[in-house]
Amino acid sequence: MRHKRGKLTISTMMAISLAIAGCSNADEGTNAAANNEAASEGENAKATVSTSGFPIVQEPISFTMFARIAPVNGPFKDMPVFQDYEKLSNIKAEFTEVPTDGFQEKKNLLFASNELPDVLFRAGLTPLETIRYGTAGQLLPLENLIGEYAPNFKQLMDAYPEIRSAITTPEGHIYALPTIVTLGAARTDKKWINQAWLKKLNLQEPQTTEDLYNVLVAFRDKDPNGNGKPDEIPMTARASSGPGLGLPVVNMMSGSFGLDNQLGYNINLADGKVEIWMGNDRNKELLQYLNKLYSEKLLDPEVFSQKEAEYLAKQGSGNTGFFFDQTNNPFLPIADQYTGIAPLEGPHGDRLQSQGAPVPRDFGSFAIASVNEHPEAALRWVDYFYGEEGSTLLRFGREGEHYELKDGIPYYTEQFLQSGNQAKITPYAGGGAPHLISDKVASFINPPQVQEAQKKLDPYMPEIRYAAPMFDEETARKVDVLRNDIDKYYEEQSTKFIAGAIGFEKWDEFQATLKKMGLEDLQQIYQTAYDAMEK
Amino acid sequence: MKTAQANPTRIAERNSSRPGIRLLKQMAKRYDLYLMLLLPVVWYLIFHYGPLYGLQIAFKNFNPAKGIVGSSWAGFEHFERFFNSYYFGRLLWNTMSINLFSLLIAFPIPILLALIINEIPSKAFGKWLQNITYLPHFISIVVIVGMLKLFLSPKGGPINGLIEAFGGEPIRFLEEAGWFKTIFIGSNIWQNMGWQSIIYIAALSGVNPQLYEAAKMDGASRLRRIWHVSLPGIVPVIVILLILDIGHFMNIGFEKVLLMQNNLNLESSDVISTFVYTTGILKGEYSYTAAIGLFNSIINLALLLLVNRIARKTSETSLW
Repeated sequence: MRHKRGKLTISTMMAISLAIAGCSNADEGTNAAANNEAASEGENAKATVSTSGFPIVQEPISFTMFARIAPVNGPFKDMPVFQDYEKLSNIKAEFTEVPTDGFQEKKNLLFASNELPDVLFRAGLTPLETIRYGTAGQLLPLENLIGEYAPNFKQLMDAYPEIRSAITTPEGHIYALPTIVTLGAARTDKKWINQAWLKKLNLQEPQTTEDLYNVLVAFRDKDPNGNGKPDEIPMTARASSGPGLGLPVVNMMSGSFGLDNQLGYNINLADGKVEIWMGNDRNKELLQYLNKLYSEKLLDPEVFSQKEAEYLAKQGSGNTGFFFDQTNNPFLPIADQYTGIAPLEGPHGDRLQSQGAPVPRDFGSFAIASVNEHPEAALRWVDYFYGEEGSTLLRFGREGEHYELKDGIPYYTEQFLQSGNQAKITPYAGGGAPHLISDKVASFINPPQVQEAQKKLDPYMPEIRYAAPMFDEETARKVDVLRNDIDKYYEEQSTKFIAGAIGFEKWDEFQATLKKMGLEDLQQIYQTAYDAMEK
Repeated sequence: MKTAQANPTRIAERNSSRPGIRLLKQMAKRYDLYLMLLLPVVWYLIFHYGPLYGLQIAFKNFNPAKGIVGSSWAGFEHFERFFNSYYFGRLLWNTMSINLFSLLIAFPIPILLALIINEIPSKAFGKWLQNITYLPHFISIVVIVGMLKLFLSPKGGPINGLIEAFGGEPIRFLEEAGWFKTIFIGSNIWQNMGWQSIIYIAALSGVNPQLYEAAKMDGASRLRRIWHVSLPGIVPVIVILLILDIGHFMNIGFEKVLLMQNNLNLESSDVISTFVYTTGILKGEYSYTAAIGLFNSIINLALLLLVNRIARKTSETSLW
């Protein structure tokens, strides 16, 4: 927008100056000189993007940035990271902050209207979106710039080869950079159980799905919170964040039934074969188990409809028996009540932590639009956050004011934590900001309690976690069409099976419909992509 | 239009000369009126007919970078995909049935309300009743849906409280497909009946009081008077409003459906407009959903023409 207006102003000025020049010859010389000057200024700005050190540009420039803002964040312009980094880099970031609710809509309208900002920050682009908008020429391919202008990111790509394969299209283009998470604990949701209730009722940590059932029944019936009312919520989980975006409660429990989550989809890998497990017998057992929990009021009846804020409030209330989250931050004041447990062993002896993300955890966090006049500078700007120094600035703010170093590791100061502003000063809170999350910068999200919970999951993680594959444009379109129908149908029917709105005698029909929608074609596409990956 | 009505005799006189020249001459004479007409005509051309060219993306593979004109043609591919889709039958049925039930149940209620208000002898009480019934119209849809969620909540909602007090099991109204249409249409009636009755009340006040007196003299009871005087007096208004309603038969309150929708009631709440939103805007399938939208509009137009034709034949009241 800003650039368009800029161009418009310049061209109007030029038109006027031409007209004036036509009228009087005397003015001609000065106008030409002015035009030349403007042109050379533009050249200079481009030439002075330094490949290392700060500032990035000698003459200050600014970028318009389209960014998602989470409910917990304060305004971006007040965040210490952007204030300090502007002085350091000479690059001003002008944010258009769009709330998480409705972000998907605004983002797609932005591309549809083709009125793009310079940079998309924390954009949550999906692989299909990047391919669509990248091949349309709206996003800039970055693969040739990364080597020179993104040294930190380049280093990470060399250290973790799965990053490159996860973000490169079959044609060899990289249209967007992901959030890189080298810290294993930030890629899984822990299984938190109320150990205070376990102790009170004299129960052991559950080891199998059957144990869990018995524990939940006890939570429901034996009044573990001691208020005499049956108001305990034995088990809860996040609700789906939107149509086609998955049912968290299914993903969290699927590992106990031998259902993995590979290639960013409901996929099992065995002996080089891709199996989309939606609709298979184990899937049925999983849904039957969840149906049992739901119908006996062990699983929170609001598990399909609650808002994120409601879910977080339930965690903090201490009145919940069993739930899933990456950290203990939402229930920090009562964290002692809870402990993490290992995945539960299912009826066939399966014990797998199926839910989990690859090292390039959040795909499409950062992208540069092709209208950007200084893509090199924009790339160098974001690359800082892929190093530990930049990541510390982004996550912790200013040393002394917000954090202090202990053994070289940043910790928020007690004083700052008491102010309650922790999530307001950093764009990482709420997820999806383009930066590096390593164990160096994770003191807050990875305290000992979370580390312990992660240790219980570690033995049950799959050897390799494959990220979603990148398809070529034609295939991506096909996948798009297939998955639009299949995902919607699968989620709706799974919800109904769990809630008991349809009975399991309809299972054959469910399988048949999935087949009719082209599940086998989809499986074949993923198989081909997997084979290409393994070569 | 107005000019033509203003001097019909003159037009009749000159019907021997060529029609184009005649119109031009007339326009030159009445240029001030035509200048006034120009503004709305331009408005329609720019804002209503101009954007129609964007409809072509329904037959193309729309690519924002290439623009509407530059995108490649796809023919009827998107229409075929929709007609073959698993959701086609369900979307069509839900869209049609919600509207059909709305029309059958919700359309007569404002008329009844207007007749009742008209019959109330106390003017002050009538006004009071009218105000009470049309106030909910001003509540925003988001608030209405929030209220529905509170009232119908299985935990502490008053309706379920009542059911439990009589020994029943609480019902998860908003999460059962079977309840969706009832709740949707019922709350629509509650919200809009007062507002929609205003126009009937106005029409009723235009009925000649002498007719009522005459009917009274003839010994007609109150119901008879309503049946033979009031109703015939407002039939033209009823027919016109019916035709207008049919005109947006396929466009049901999109926001309200979307806000009330969840995976458990999707079976009966998935309608064309929300499908267009979730697939087109949220997933960026512009061409596909433009085709669906176009299909929707064509059904609308067909229904409108059909009802208008029936109305013209049966009651001599119609839009054109």
